[in-house]
Amino acid sequence: MRKSKIRFLIFLDLVCTILSCNQYRHMQRISSNASCIQKFKPDFSHVVYRTSVDVIGKHISGILVVKHMSDSSTRMVFTNEMGFSYFDFGFPPDSGFKVYQIVPQMNKEGLIRTLRKDFELLLFRNMENSKYYALTDSGLIYHAFPQAEGVNYYITGSNCLQLVKMQRASTKKPVMEAFIYGGSPGIAPDSISMRHFNISHFSITLKQITTPAAQ
Amino acid sequence: MFKSISLVSFLFCFLFSVAQYQGYTLLNHPETFKKSFTQATATTESIKSDFKQEKSLSMLSENINSTGKFWYRKNDKIRMEYIQPYSYIMILNGGKIFTKEGQKENKISANSNKVFQQVNRILIDCVGGSMLDNPDFQSHIFENSGTYLVELIPIAKNLKELYKNINILIDKKDYTATAIEMFELSGDKTIIRFQNKVLNAQIKDSVFNIP
Repeated sequence: MRKSKIRFLIFLDLVCTILSCNQYRHMQRISSNASCIQKFKPDFSHVVYRTSVDVIGKHISGILVVKHMSDSSTRMVFTNEMGFSYFDFGFPPDSGFKVYQIVPQMNKEGLIRTLRKDFELLLFRNMENSKYYALTDSGLIYHAFPQAEGVNYYITGSNCLQLVKMQRASTKKPVMEAFIYGGSPGIAPDSISMRHFNISHFSITLKQITTPAAQ
Repeated sequence: MFKSISLVSFLFCFLFSVAQYQGYTLLNHPETFKKSFTQATATTESIKSDFKQEKSLSMLSENINSTGKFWYRKNDKIRMEYIQPYSYIMILNGGKIFTKEGQKENKISANSNKVFQQVNRILIDCVGGSMLDNPDFQSHIFENSGTYLVELIPIAKNLKELYKNINILIDKKDYTATAIEMFELSGDKTIIRFQNKVLNAQIKDSVFNIP
């Protein structure tokens, strides 16, 4: 009798935890248009960012080059200040992902998967209209695009005139939040910040720079 | 007969395994160079210079250029201060590496990480002139009218995963490095060119201080 009571209490606790952890559960579904956020898609045709990465007390800095290639793919190359390349990622036109090069120290499946998902959110990829739905909360619209794992949210004001932030989420709560600053159609964002919630102190900051011409 | 074929094959393989650089010829007897180089670097206590760095991303047809100031003091102290297009300071002092990016400071013990230790040693060896003694590399020396080209091919496994080869261009006039060229396996390369060099300049200790 006592055992079954304990089991019931554990079950009740688990249910409460699950319900309270779901940060999207209380939001209301609304009808909205997936295409309204396309105007916020950053122009990454050719941009160079000063980049800082902080993860679990470690700091890495360098240069991230993002370039739209002639085959319509997007390449991202991250090097340190002295020119040594950390990674070279390719995002083909519609979907998919290719690691062209990565240093052995960063060649970890989990890290590559995380970076891929982070960059896919920034690049407005995997946005299937057939899976699209929208939620609303506190005057914001959460434009939701379910992914193979989790959901990508593009969060706008109620009239879809301003992109407030972007989130990569599990089915219950955000795992990463990204903000873009500056930029407009045809101009890349001035800066971008990304912050992870499930990995302690994992943040990425990008600030656009102009490199001088070779002499 | 078998011995002759083997010898010819060996010579053929050797000649074609050594890279060729346009305008340069391979030194068949590098001992003379090594002797002069060792004598010249022995008298160089410090170097102060400007530098220009060019990173070429081959697949992206993209160059990232940066400029800055460089300081070296015998035997193991280097400071590289990037000024354009970003501010970044790197100090190598003894077994420690210090970096500063904006307000963000980072200290790494090169001794705690073998790759850092090796990359650290490459820079110091290239500037300080001890690269020919580095057991992590196999070296070949080429020359043209004004320059020696020291080609370093990694032997150490972890460096082989990072670099195809590293070349150091040495001015025949004063035996100092005028450029370091780092070739990665991906085809990307980084060239650091040293300009306005001042040898044996007075450099304050604080330049190499790691806070």
